Amino acid sequence: MTVADVGRKAPRRPKPAPGAGRRSPLRVLGMVVVLAFSAFNLLVLYWLIAASFKTPVEIFTKPFALPVRWFQLGRPLRNFAYAWDQAGFGDAFLTTVVLVAASSAAIVLVSAPAAYALTRLGVRGSGPLTNLIAVGMGVPFQTVIIPLFIGLSTVHLTDSLFGLFLVYVALSIPFTVFLLTGFFRSLSDEMEEAAAIDGASPLRTFFAVMLPLARGGLITALILNAIGLWNETLLAIVFLQSQAHFTLARALFTFYGAAEYQSEYGGLIAGVTILVLPMLVLYLVLARRIITGLTLGSGK
Amino acid sequence: MATIVAAPAKERGAAGKPGPVGTSGGHLVRKRRLFWPFLTPALVLYVVFLVAPTIVTGVLSFTRWAGAGDTPQFSGFTGYLRMFASDSFRSALVNTLMYVVVGGAGTFLLAFLFTMVLRDMPGGKLVRTILFFPNIVAPVALAMFFSFLFKSDDKGLANFVLGAFGVNPVRFLAPENVTLTVIGALVWASSGFYITILMAAVDRIPPYLYEDAEIAGASAWQKFRAITLPLTWDVVGVAGVLWTINALKVFELVFVLAGPGTYSPPTAAWTLGIYVFDRSFGSQGTPDYGGASACAVVMIALTSVFVVLLRRLMRRDTIQF
Repeated sequence: MTVADVGRKAPRRPKPAPGAGRRSPLRVLGMVVVLAFSAFNLLVLYWLIAASFKTPVEIFTKPFALPVRWFQLGRPLRNFAYAWDQAGFGDAFLTTVVLVAASSAAIVLVSAPAAYALTRLGVRGSGPLTNLIAVGMGVPFQTVIIPLFIGLSTVHLTDSLFGLFLVYVALSIPFTVFLLTGFFRSLSDEMEEAAAIDGASPLRTFFAVMLPLARGGLITALILNAIGLWNETLLAIVFLQSQAHFTLARALFTFYGAAEYQSEYGGLIAGVTILVLPMLVLYLVLARRIITGLTLGSGK
Repeated sequence: MATIVAAPAKERGAAGKPGPVGTSGGHLVRKRRLFWPFLTPALVLYVVFLVAPTIVTGVLSFTRWAGAGDTPQFSGFTGYLRMFASDSFRSALVNTLMYVVVGGAGTFLLAFLFTMVLRDMPGGKLVRTILFFPNIVAPVALAMFFSFLFKSDDKGLANFVLGAFGVNPVRFLAPENVTLTVIGALVWASSGFYITILMAAVDRIPPYLYEDAEIAGASAWQKFRAITLPLTWDVVGVAGVLWTINALKVFELVFVLAGPGTYSPPTAAWTLGIYVFDRSFGSQGTPDYGGASACAVVMIALTSVFVVLLRRLMRRDTIQF
């Protein structure tokens, strides 16, 4: 564990003694690539945010400079205003927030009891059932969109946010159940047994003991689903047709062609920023939880 | 968080034997009564929205169907034969395999290189956070960024920088170049994820192994060959499976970068995901649900084949440490 500790923020921790083989060419090459890669990522972020305040001319002729023109004209937020009002990102923002919040909550609400049932009730066949659900993670959405579209259109749930909500919830179940079985499995039996000995009913044990214990997992599942759905595009393209229902990713997809045509590059980049910035803020606050959660399933 | 992550990994070994033991008989029976009420909602949604549609797609792939207003006509394998003979499907298949194989090789080479450095690099956690960042950005947004980066005329950022060094503009997004460009973009965008997975495994390796190797004078490459790779082999396998699943369905990046954005790009740049979309919901012409379904079946078949092959290839006795 000392390896992990060295990297953490504690600044006064003495550095590991420089070993004999530290200067090998491969290591130097690696170090250069790592630093170049990180610098590029930061540059991308800078470029995006700077460009969302620029005029098209500035975007293309002074890509690395700070924005000037719109500030001189006294309308620094001009691009954002255009994207928000003219290109419909304002409405899309609200739609996305509501849809993503409702979907993520519903996903966890459905998946948590299922994951609990599959891991802690000692029912035979739980293992194969868990695997059956986990296999769903490997199914490309392209495989199901045609039947889903036909099915939902017969019940008038295409071009409907409720229809997309159902699709989002259902298609997120494999990943979420898989993630949560890991968390429930990691809980110790003792608390559960103690609750049973104290006479708590199984249902009460679940709500009062197990759910609070798995809280970390539930929050992680909530956040990961929120990020995934916030960024989801293919299903939104297929299931939403009228602009009034667009999510942010969907609105951006449609705006792209129009913006190219009108040379409305400032508004386009502002749109990208509106899509990216909320996730960036979330990431800055919750980076550790997001990273460990997203990479959890593979740790074995 | 670290403890939560480590725990399920250890517990996974017990996955086969379900559930805790030791609670009293009557309680256990009452507990088991919760099983179906708890599982049913998720299971029903899963079956209705994922299992059943997958089967229906399989059935539709043997029909000819132009969508609404038309009725599906059974056509046997003619749909498949027509598809395999078409240029658009062939380039979609070849491009998709390029993304999986070439992109995979690039991503994992980069990830391995990084594991050698990041293990004991000062500030490594911060670097990992920065490297991971593209993974929380919507693929459409990444695609838009790359379209600015790689614009063909001298307006593009890449050509702007190349121009400063006196290099003539490169047509990164021309149909014949776009696959390589997108592979580069894909490797950049996803390597952070795979680096993080591998590093989580590397962090669990006891440091004394590296210290011993260091005393014995091992180079970075030798340490990687003799310690890192054998002890993270299982995770490399899982990461390979994840890569395959994700690369096989690549869609948004190619769709936006190779084309005008609102309708399909030139067929030379297609992937299987774009083929399915274009034949079903792409805005040009009448839909061909049968052909799209056949391509979707190919996608899921390829996923299965790759996953089984990878599992075979990577199977090995686990090293305890």
